[in-house]
Amino acid sequence: MATLDDVRVITPRSRGRMSDVWRFRDLYRSLVARDLAVKYQSSVLGFVWTLLNPLLMLAVLTAVFTHVIRVPIEHYWAFLLSGYFVWNCAQQCLSSATYVLHQHASLRRSAAFPSEILLLSAATAKHFEFAIEIGLTLVALAIFHHHGVPNSLLVLPALFALQFFLVVGLMSPIAVLSVLFRDVQHALPLVILALFYVSPVFYSTDLVPESVRGLYMLNPFAGLLSLYHAVLFEGRFPSAGLLGWVAILALSSYGVGYAIFRRYKSLCVEVA
Amino acid sequence: MRPLVECRNVGKEFRYPPQAASLREWFIRTVRGQTVRRPAPAFRLSGFDLSVGRGSTVSIIGGNGSGKSTVLRLIAGIYIPSEGEIRTRGRVAAVVELGMGLHPELTGSENVHLYGTILGMSRSETRARFSEIVDFAEIGDFIHVPIKYYSSGMLSRLAFSIAMASEPDILLLDEAMAVGDQAFRERCGERIAEHLNGGAAAIIVSHDLDVVRRYASEVIWLEAGRIRMRGEANEVVDAYLASMSGAEPAADSEAASSAPGQQPEYLAEA
Repeated sequence: MATLDDVRVITPRSRGRMSDVWRFRDLYRSLVARDLAVKYQSSVLGFVWTLLNPLLMLAVLTAVFTHVIRVPIEHYWAFLLSGYFVWNCAQQCLSSATYVLHQHASLRRSAAFPSEILLLSAATAKHFEFAIEIGLTLVALAIFHHHGVPNSLLVLPALFALQFFLVVGLMSPIAVLSVLFRDVQHALPLVILALFYVSPVFYSTDLVPESVRGLYMLNPFAGLLSLYHAVLFEGRFPSAGLLGWVAILALSSYGVGYAIFRRYKSLCVEVA
Repeated sequence: MRPLVECRNVGKEFRYPPQAASLREWFIRTVRGQTVRRPAPAFRLSGFDLSVGRGSTVSIIGGNGSGKSTVLRLIAGIYIPSEGEIRTRGRVAAVVELGMGLHPELTGSENVHLYGTILGMSRSETRARFSEIVDFAEIGDFIHVPIKYYSSGMLSRLAFSIAMASEPDILLLDEAMAVGDQAFRERCGERIAEHLNGGAAAIIVSHDLDVVRRYASEVIWLEAGRIRMRGEANEVVDAYLASMSGAEPAADSEAASSAPGQQPEYLAEA
């Protein structure tokens, strides 16, 4: 018998306890494992397939931007490589936010657990793949670009954490909106495409005119990708100012996003 | 001893559609200065009071769409009430819909672990009770087969076994035994009785009035979201049966159950 001290009071203002997320950590772990298992069991080549798509895109982008439209960046392939997977992971997470709550609708209507876990586990599974991709990137850059291992990699875990907070923070309102408005899933790809062009994925922040740089840096991905470019491509420590700015954006995105999610999550259970 | 479940003046409203259905529609209306009117509640549960002490079983009966499942979901903490207060003490396990919470692509044994964690069991706890769960559910070698190949009886046996293995203080059953065969129902009944002797409480929603008469110490009859009658099991069940066979009340309950917006379920399909 579980402890009877576990008294639970549910009123119209209940939003669930923060500690519930920790209490259901086993569920979180199972969902992450299931996400990865479903993806890799379904095909023989497994991980190779998921790598093939970005590799193809990398090859096309490198060819186009070094031979057709010449982006004035030396070792362009290495530049592209150091930011592409970051973007790829982020955009997959954002689009997954439009369907995770629908996907687990039956689960949420049959058991009481914090829905945050669904977002967190989807993001974690994607970041797990991202970690592998970044690992491969590091090997490629160390061998062919830096001819060694730069010290700047020490900052990488911090960037990784900031990215996770930023992405989960952005996923939360998207998830709520896509439950309440059914056309959000159609609108989001357009937003993501626009975001791709105003983020330094295939060009560097230095190429953005000084006059609009301030405005440009309001895009959280501009800062985040600049950090990755500094650390992975240039092999130098990023400026404290930039790191601080991205940290502010990431943590406020997480805070605001989570607050919105908690406010509306009970409605989401009834609708989706 | 304080009761394990207490509901005080609990109410719940469902509206359809719950919000503007699309962002585009919402945007156009906002630009034109039209306010998006909140639709009238499609279903309302109101004034629901309940108190279930240790070792007792309360059963909720009523026609389709009378709010039985909504009550269970509220107590389980799946829905948040629109008004009132619900207090529970101890672990709650709900078996609310057939095979719900189970994942069709995963095997029986994977589902045992997943559902166990959903019910709040630790992984080691689930592992320790695994063979007990499989034995009680009589799944046999099918435990290694994805559950999409299970019969409905197997699904409900599995869900029930997992729920019981979590040793809940509060057990919520919604037609959980309806698809089981007679032998399984007998064993379920025994198992529940045993569990209640251990100090747990149960709330059972069932259309099987024999089950209700046999196990419930109190019966609540819901009609269109309101308590029509409550009291000793046989008394309420008799009144319920009488209302269905009598000409006038039958027409009444028929109208109630065919009214639009009776069940929150279809909101899901929106």
